[in-house]
Amino acid sequence: MTERDEKMAAPVAGARAALVGTAVTATLLAAGSGYGWKLRPPGAVAEEVFLQKCLRCGRCAHACPYAAVQMGDLADGLAIGTPLIVPRQTPCYLCPDLPCVKACPSGALDPQLTDAQKTRMGTAVIVEREECLSLKGLRCEACYRACPLLDKAISIENYLNVRTGRHAIFEPVVHKQHCTGCGICEQVCVLERPAIVVGPLQPPTESLYEG
Amino acid sequence: MKVNRWTVARRCVQLAVVALLASPLWSREVFEGTLASASLLGLKLSDPLATLQVLLLTGTLSLSLLIGSATVLIFYGLLGGRVFCGWVCPVHLLTDLTDLLPWTKRLRCWPLSGKTAALVAALLLSLLFGVPAFETVSPIGIAVRSLTFGGGLGALVLLLVVLTELLLARRAWCRSLCPLGGLYALLGRVGPLRVAYDGGRCIHCGRCSATCFVPEVLEPSLQSGAARVTAGDCSRCGACIGVCPTAALTFNCARKTNKPKEVER
Repeated sequence: MTERDEKMAAPVAGARAALVGTAVTATLLAAGSGYGWKLRPPGAVAEEVFLQKCLRCGRCAHACPYAAVQMGDLADGLAIGTPLIVPRQTPCYLCPDLPCVKACPSGALDPQLTDAQKTRMGTAVIVEREECLSLKGLRCEACYRACPLLDKAISIENYLNVRTGRHAIFEPVVHKQHCTGCGICEQVCVLERPAIVVGPLQPPTESLYEG
Repeated sequence: MKVNRWTVARRCVQLAVVALLASPLWSREVFEGTLASASLLGLKLSDPLATLQVLLLTGTLSLSLLIGSATVLIFYGLLGGRVFCGWVCPVHLLTDLTDLLPWTKRLRCWPLSGKTAALVAALLLSLLFGVPAFETVSPIGIAVRSLTFGGGLGALVLLLVVLTELLLARRAWCRSLCPLGGLYALLGRVGPLRVAYDGGRCIHCGRCSATCFVPEVLEPSLQSGAARVTAGDCSRCGACIGVCPTAALTFNCARKTNKPKEVER
């Protein structure tokens, strides 16, 4: 290869490299765009805006005294580097001073949230009614007793157990208007697969069967 | 072999930065955050490129990001943009170590202008996908986060960077692909701190060019006798100064040199 050829080849190789880099990035981003619902730290703005605003800096996770805030990995697609809470591992304990919100530099966690009890990360839902021990007529109520908004976010409604005809069923009932989505109920559920889990505040609007 | 004092100093700073970035594991008193955004002894710091992507996507900026990125821009504006690359970035440390392997010297080099293209691509992809594109895939972010949150699949991205630099082109990521390096190379065109060249002392031994990871910014000075290296791509790493046997190369902080003709470039 002559010197002139080398001079010509270098920018071409560079341009090719830049194209490959762009293509790899685009593929990664496109692959990640089919993300599922994620439980975000307190004060997180709507998911679409959250992904725009979040710097992936991890300061909320550093600020969390319980290490409940984890950082997404490559396996989480577009959510890589963004903060997540996995209640079954460590739920949010709703610190009254909201250190995660205070640590966020970009407003992805809304600084207007100052009262931890007004957090709305999601809402608890009893997804396994057939498995829930309380609904089977046992005195479990672990979720009810662990709830930081006892008798507000989860109350116990009792009624006659028609199966025995002589006992009561003490049913835990979630009240969405008070539930913060902290996930403590999900964590303390005694079942191997929790009967109560935190899910999105609104059900998905698009068909589950599309794409 | 003679020890390059500037490279020893730089390794110490690079390792100190890694220790600082890992320090939230033990205490958040001194440092909290990552290179994307941090608080250092209460001082707000934010990555200007991350801030730019958020500004582009949302049209607004929080006061914290504004102050943080202004602080960082002023700091690197004064020291020379790519001082970040040479002295702070942990990926640069990783590729510095990769470059110590003998066969990487024989690989070709891709042009430095690739970084500017990568910078533009990062901003366009951000708009296209509605996420800060570079923050999402950044090996720098992945490397720094892994220090306090542990590694995961993200380490594959770092592996990709190392493999590219081992097999395809020498220092490919830091020379030609990193958008953040592209931004700091633009910033590096201003700032008083430069490598100064004294043609009278130079014996043209070529050691400086051999040790420099962006030799094309050093060559014009050596050939034309320009008193200062003016290119933004110079990371002020000092390797050329440390290796020079006749002290023809020095750091120079003067606003003007005795050759004003060269300053205008």
